[in-house]
Amino acid sequence: MSIWDPQPRIGGRIVRPYTMTGGRTSQGEAPIALEALVAATAEGMRRRDSFRWESAEIIHRSRTATAVIELAALMEVPIGVVKVLAADLRDSGAVTVTDPPEVLTTEGDGYTELLRKVLDGIEAL
Amino acid sequence: MESKHSEMTRLTPVKIVIAGGFGVGKTTFVGAISEIEPLRSEAIITEVSDGVDELWDSSQKITTTVAMDFGRISLKHDLVLYLFGTPGQDRFHFMWNELARGAIGAVVLVDTRHIEACFAAVDFFERKGTPFVVAVNTFHGRRLHGSEQVRQALQVAPQVPIIYCDARVRVDVQRVLAAVVEHALHRATSNLKVG
Repeated sequence: MSIWDPQPRIGGRIVRPYTMTGGRTSQGEAPIALEALVAATAEGMRRRDSFRWESAEIIHRSRTATAVIELAALMEVPIGVVKVLAADLRDSGAVTVTDPPEVLTTEGDGYTELLRKVLDGIEAL
Repeated sequence: MESKHSEMTRLTPVKIVIAGGFGVGKTTFVGAISEIEPLRSEAIITEVSDGVDELWDSSQKITTTVAMDFGRISLKHDLVLYLFGTPGQDRFHFMWNELARGAIGAVVLVDTRHIEACFAAVDFFERKGTPFVVAVNTFHGRRLHGSEQVRQALQVAPQVPIIYCDARVRVDVQRVLAAVVEHALHRATSNLKVG
């Protein structure tokens, strides 16, 4: 990869990706998982027009719960950008973000119960 | 829960990682069962390059993008299962950490004609302690090698399931995914932490 390569095209525009996030690349204290579900709140939908394009688009597309990675694919913006913006929207009450159950990492109480539900779900497909 | 709209019911996201070499059929596997056409997302990665040109700082950072394919399956019990295909190229293995974190488990998809292509995935999941199964993609129903041959070639523990599947066939993929969860369950209940 050459350092002379152009910046990636984002959503049909040529922009430096993290311009959309004011240059920030982290999501505060709690990192958001790729599969974390973003869902617009009633307040978020009401205030949608007060946000910049990318954030307003996240609210619009998360009227039904939609994963971070899915928002990134549909909006054609990098995953990291969606994470930062979704974290901001969460902090301002415009969306909720549901991370995967922590028990999947800790394998603590409720782990096998959750796995049984998932297995039941897969077998019922 | 705080809303009366039914679509606002809290869904729980879970994921299974689909790994394997380039061209082994990961996206086909995901597409066979996903309720959406597999989508592609990109992550921007900052790499530190070797300073070749002395005019540049020797720790010059370079950004590049990594593509990941994924699919989605809505399950009962308000669960949403995401299937993530790992980026094919070896140089993006560090992205796998994020993919593996919190995953129920993984499928290592194998083409026995290029079995070495999945070594990196097996190494990674063994090291991480992620439950995984080996799924041999039979490509049109041909079993070129027996499961013991595959086990020997991969040097995986006896308890790691080896399953044959056709990555294009929905019920085959369903069976492999069920095997991942069963294996994770078995491991949790028998307290085995290998494989």
